[in-house]
Amino acid sequence: MDVLWSAEGDAMLTVREVHGELAAQRDIAYTTVMTVMDRLAKKALVEQEKDGRAYRYRARASRGAMTAELMRDTLSDFGSGSRESALVAFVEEASSEDIAALKQALAELSDS
Amino acid sequence: MTPLLLGALAVLFAGPAPWVLAHWPGLRRTPRAAMLLWQSVALAAVLAAVGAGLSLFTSHAWRETPGAVGALIAGVALAVTFLVVGRLLLSGHRVGTTLRALRRRHLAQLDLIAHTERGARVVEHDVPVAYCVPGMRGVRVVVSAGALSRLGDDEVAAVLAHEHAHLRARHDLVLEAFSVLHRAFPAWVASRAALGEVQVLVEVLADRAAARSAGSLPLARALVAMASGRAPQAALAVSTASSGALVDRVQLLKDREPRRAQTVGLLVAAAAVLALPTAFVVLPWLGSLT
Repeated sequence: MDVLWSAEGDAMLTVREVHGELAAQRDIAYTTVMTVMDRLAKKALVEQEKDGRAYRYRARASRGAMTAELMRDTLSDFGSGSRESALVAFVEEASSEDIAALKQALAELSDS
Repeated sequence: MTPLLLGALAVLFAGPAPWVLAHWPGLRRTPRAAMLLWQSVALAAVLAAVGAGLSLFTSHAWRETPGAVGALIAGVALAVTFLVVGRLLLSGHRVGTTLRALRRRHLAQLDLIAHTERGARVVEHDVPVAYCVPGMRGVRVVVSAGALSRLGDDEVAAVLAHEHAHLRARHDLVLEAFSVLHRAFPAWVASRAALGEVQVLVEVLADRAAARSAGSLPLARALVAMASGRAPQAALAVSTASSGALVDRVQLLKDREPRRAQTVGLLVAAAAVLALPTAFVVLPWLGSLT
């Protein structure tokens, strides 16, 4: 679905327009598109606006902005320390002394 | 006598025991047994605390003529017990719902912006990160493009193996349980130390699994590369991470001795912590009630 998000500029699209775009690439039901759009709106990932009898949709943020936002949340989750963490990070934050010690430890491991 | 004994055990398992375990770095050499011991000490602390309250209640309320003081003590004991259990349940509920909501939101965004590569979700971002989103449904292993560009093929394989090990072993559940304890009794038990140490043990366990399948050297190189790549951010952030744990992880990769004696000792201790108080304090007390 997000193929279409990034393709469009600032314009708001109806479900019919989105469906038209998608149906050109693959077989997809109109109601499926409608359901997905509604769900995305509920999750506040797209903006929904009533236009007559139909709804018009627009991505809340560009793909890049959403990526940056996700990464900011992720990094703050890692940095939360004692608080419960929703994600499990591969490495936690390291100070410059830690990194020097890490390189030393790696060198020892490579030698052995 | 029973309430006093159980009370003393609760204090021992909540304070000094975790403190000793947290200050014993050798424990990380046998992560699986150490993890088991941590879990049984935590469980024993909770059970002993609840048992102390309940036995104090029964020792005063079960008499023929309780008297005013006896009734008061029994009432207070019961109230405190309910308070402890209530705090635990409330904390469990809060932590559980918070984590589920955060993960659900994270997954919704992630699935929109990420593409799949080598069985992982790749996020187009320069900061090198790798992590997993655990949960009942829709687990994901996520790496950033910055991580992929900094790591060689074998190193990426090691990182992915590490994250898959977390998900397979449901390490998130252990972390969640200790988070619940920490949230419920933050200040007056050593729950901070417990949570911190269990976080390290979980990483060591995943490291071992990854080292087995992908080799310890690629994994160590990946650890160092990823930690160095994030350094600028670390300088800004208030450092809360248990410093030195990363270095320890790399050094532990070199350590391949099985250490059977320590493993067996820890397993025996883990069983004893739960079994001995049950056999010598709780069973006689329950027997005396009937």
